[in-house]
Amino acid sequence: MPPLLEVRNLSTHIRTRRGVVRAVDDVSFTLEAGETLGLVGESGCGKSMTGLSVMGLLPPGGSVLAGSSVKLDGRELVGLPERELRRIRGNDIAMVFQDPMTSLDPTKTIGHQVAESVLLHRGCTRAEAADRATEVLGLVGLPHPRERLDDYPHQLSGGLRQRVLIAMALANEPRVLIADEPTTALDVTIQAQILALLADLRSRLDMAVVLITHDMGVTAGHTDRVNVMYAGRIAESTGTDRLFRGMRHPYTQSLLASVPRLDQDPERQLPTIPGMPPDLTAPPAGCRFADRCAYATDRCREEEPELTGPEGPQGHRFACWHPTDGPLPADATVVTPRPAAAPPAVAERPLLEARDLVREFPVRGGGLVGLGGRTGRGGRRVVHALSGVSLSLAPGETFGLVGESGCGKTTLGRVLVGLDRPDSGSVTLDGAELGRLRGRDLRRHRRDLQMMFQDPFSSLDPRMRVGSILREPLQIQGIGTATEQKARVAELLAEVGLPARSAELFPHEFSGGQRQRIGLARALALTPKLIVADEPVSALDVSVRAQVLNLMNRLQAAHDLSYVVISHDLAVVRYLADRIGVMYLGRMVEVGTADDIHLRAAHPYTAGLLEAVPVPDPELERAKRGSGITGELPSPVDPPSGCRFRTRCPLAQERCAEETPALRAFGPHHTAACHFPLQTPLTEPAPAAAAAADGTGA
Amino acid sequence: MTAFLIRRIGQAIVVVLGVMVLTFVMIHLVPGSAARATLGTRATAERIAIFNAANGLDRPLAAQFWTYVQQAAQGNFGISYSQQQPVSTLIVQRLPRDGLLLGLSTLLALAVAVPMGIFQAVRRGRVADHVFTVVSFVLYSMPDFFFALVLVAIFSVQLHLLPSQAPQAETVGGILADPRALVLPVVTLTLGSLAGLSRYMRSSALTTLAQDYVRVARAKGLPERLVLSRHVLRNSLLPVITVLGLSAPSIVAGAVIAESVFNYPGMGLLFFQAATSKDYPIMLGSTLVVGVATVLGSLFADIAYSLLDPRIRHVDA
Repeated sequence: MPPLLEVRNLSTHIRTRRGVVRAVDDVSFTLEAGETLGLVGESGCGKSMTGLSVMGLLPPGGSVLAGSSVKLDGRELVGLPERELRRIRGNDIAMVFQDPMTSLDPTKTIGHQVAESVLLHRGCTRAEAADRATEVLGLVGLPHPRERLDDYPHQLSGGLRQRVLIAMALANEPRVLIADEPTTALDVTIQAQILALLADLRSRLDMAVVLITHDMGVTAGHTDRVNVMYAGRIAESTGTDRLFRGMRHPYTQSLLASVPRLDQDPERQLPTIPGMPPDLTAPPAGCRFADRCAYATDRCREEEPELTGPEGPQGHRFACWHPTDGPLPADATVVTPRPAAAPPAVAERPLLEARDLVREFPVRGGGLVGLGGRTGRGGRRVVHALSGVSLSLAPGETFGLVGESGCGKTTLGRVLVGLDRPDSGSVTLDGAELGRLRGRDLRRHRRDLQMMFQDPFSSLDPRMRVGSILREPLQIQGIGTATEQKARVAELLAEVGLPARSAELFPHEFSGGQRQRIGLARALALTPKLIVADEPVSALDVSVRAQVLNLMNRLQAAHDLSYVVISHDLAVVRYLADRIGVMYLGRMVEVGTADDIHLRAAHPYTAGLLEAVPVPDPELERAKRGSGITGELPSPVDPPSGCRFRTRCPLAQERCAEETPALRAFGPHHTAACHFPLQTPLTEPAPAAAAAADGTGA
Repeated sequence: MTAFLIRRIGQAIVVVLGVMVLTFVMIHLVPGSAARATLGTRATAERIAIFNAANGLDRPLAAQFWTYVQQAAQGNFGISYSQQQPVSTLIVQRLPRDGLLLGLSTLLALAVAVPMGIFQAVRRGRVADHVFTVVSFVLYSMPDFFFALVLVAIFSVQLHLLPSQAPQAETVGGILADPRALVLPVVTLTLGSLAGLSRYMRSSALTTLAQDYVRVARAKGLPERLVLSRHVLRNSLLPVITVLGLSAPSIVAGAVIAESVFNYPGMGLLFFQAATSKDYPIMLGSTLVVGVATVLGSLFADIAYSLLDPRIRHVDA
């Protein structure tokens, strides 16, 4: 019997203005019903293009080369007329895409969009299609599917929209589901729910799943076999357990090593992969990874290694002349001792102190044509972005802020650097209260507070040369003569590891990682005391991410900087931060040292958040399946009374709805706001003691 | 929706009042006077003074304006100097004819521009796209009266296929009874707005085609025809509707020219004649009508937008 899906010698070329991109090069794999195959790699490695080639949905200019073969149940799909292919698409093979916010037609109801593919392939009546849509929306866990058929996409959260997209893909019970980064755009808590849903549906419907992802944690927990792709080719292919424990390809080894893990030693540099993937319009002769490989020899640069080794479920194939064996040892990299930042309780005077910050935004009725600005009769409706947040920061300390999107962490970051003013509460920097400063004083203090942004593409002015971008802060602050400013630019570029000639180039001439270095250099230009880094590496590929994280650590040591690192990635925060604050719906629910948070979490939310983070270890990841936080973040316009987490908390009782929990001490630097904590508090909360510990939660 | 309508109508009234002030002031700033225009250049100072007194033109501007607003509120725009008829009667007679001409040509322009824009977007970078692009730029860069003259030269003078003068009937029904004569004015106005609309439609469709939900629609197995009609069309129309609403003034401006060339008895021609004879009441009245039309245009665009885009219909839902 032929395998359910068999891809043989698949090569895909895309004609662009720069030339022909060899996006997929001689890729072969098979897939059986009930099995999940991971396609893993960094952006541009060809994993998505492989999925799109199987679907026959290549972008303009893309074509599958002759000699390629994609067989579904023994039937050849390559070269099939479009009309035949359409019968298979969405019926036998379906696809789920990355971004649920943009993948639904905003002008059609979700019922219509799900029913559309049923009507198309089953030739049934509209009523039957609507019934099937209801059924399948229920299957993917949309609450009250019958009533929600007439909802429009914008009325649903990101997690629910992804469920709708999965429902659309599953409507005709496809035999193969291709999921292209299905959870990358979602919060970890929602990611865990969606991945569990996919696993459940796979076994219930006996589907074969191709899971395309860059996330090694997701790979570890949710695949049976993995193809690691690099520069359009499969570098290594084997069972998931074997891949994580006994990988043979140096790329797999360094890819896994460069992911910060929750148990990462923060004093040890992350192993990085130097350089960048090759240009696929002119791939190098020999092994494509040779230029970045620590083991490469002349042979690697001349002769291309074939993918060899035993095939089949127990097989292990890899394309390398000098295979390694197993993961990189944990002590393979340099230790850079970090400056032991005194925690604020010990420090004589904190660098920055925020007290009872409250920030609310009026809800604006959306609309592009001036329909907004309506206020309801019931008075002003507001988003409670920050509801009484306090924190203090010692010189040289790194404070990590974590929480789901919408929890207020970005607003807090903006308030801390003075880009936004709190409605009440204060931010004090070196004894000066930012809210009271005006004009020149405020401008002088802004030097000490800088920001590094998430998106390396939109945070640099595309029409300014890098030199001007880096000089601008100096010019605004009137620091130095033109010559001195230019010297400072050169110094900054050297510091972040970019060549001096970069000053003459424009941002688009750099890769994402390099742009993030420029962003960091810009933040450093005024030798600030504090840099707030909002998701500094979440837009970067794993190998580049490690480079930037190492750089941030090195610069901190060199300049005695304080960081506030905002991230949804708990491993990144764990790696960078001395102390971590966990936010939920505008409140700080737990603060503690990195170990407090990771080993002794007191708040059920913190514990659930940690549980939801996928770790790159198949055994650990499978053991915890089914746990984590259920449900979605409630609306910040109308947050739950009492403890805001209570609606999703497994331990919640009546008291949680009635009484807002105050922060209680669980250790010298560890506080949490919970009535029924997972750890025993040090003492019962005396109001004075709680306030002294770290402000109150209310 | 009701609250939105009330607010928008409030805004519209303010805008119309602004239009009244501006036009009133501007018309009285223009050199030359109504008396000279009506009585001729050799009229004596005495006769001019009598004319001015009879028409209230000797009073201060503010007082004249106040009278104008008061009367306008009652639908009285004064008596035309040159035609000796109430301006409101003239406008009421002609407005339906304009509705016919502008409505027909706008619908026709949309009917051609929408498919053309989508077709170009689908064929982006291919020969057909380039050909249509060149055609629309040629059209775009030509003034309306030039089309009109070229069309007349070809179809009336050379081929004798179509009359060069628009129908002169009094009523809309009468005009429709002579469809051949209507062809050239309608086509002229259509060509005038076609180019711009199709460019907007093309770029809007290009944006839509690159959206993820279009890829999702294809992944369902929808044939391209249905992808375009169900998912691309409506989403691409949204920005075009706004443009269309805002282009009401330029459509009216086009009408002034086309009506003069084809002698079409509409508001455009009325305004053109009034402007050449310094007939203040007609100019004021018809400018106000154009102002109201503009405001209504963008109001309709907003309403149409909210009907097509559920994100606006269900604010805060």
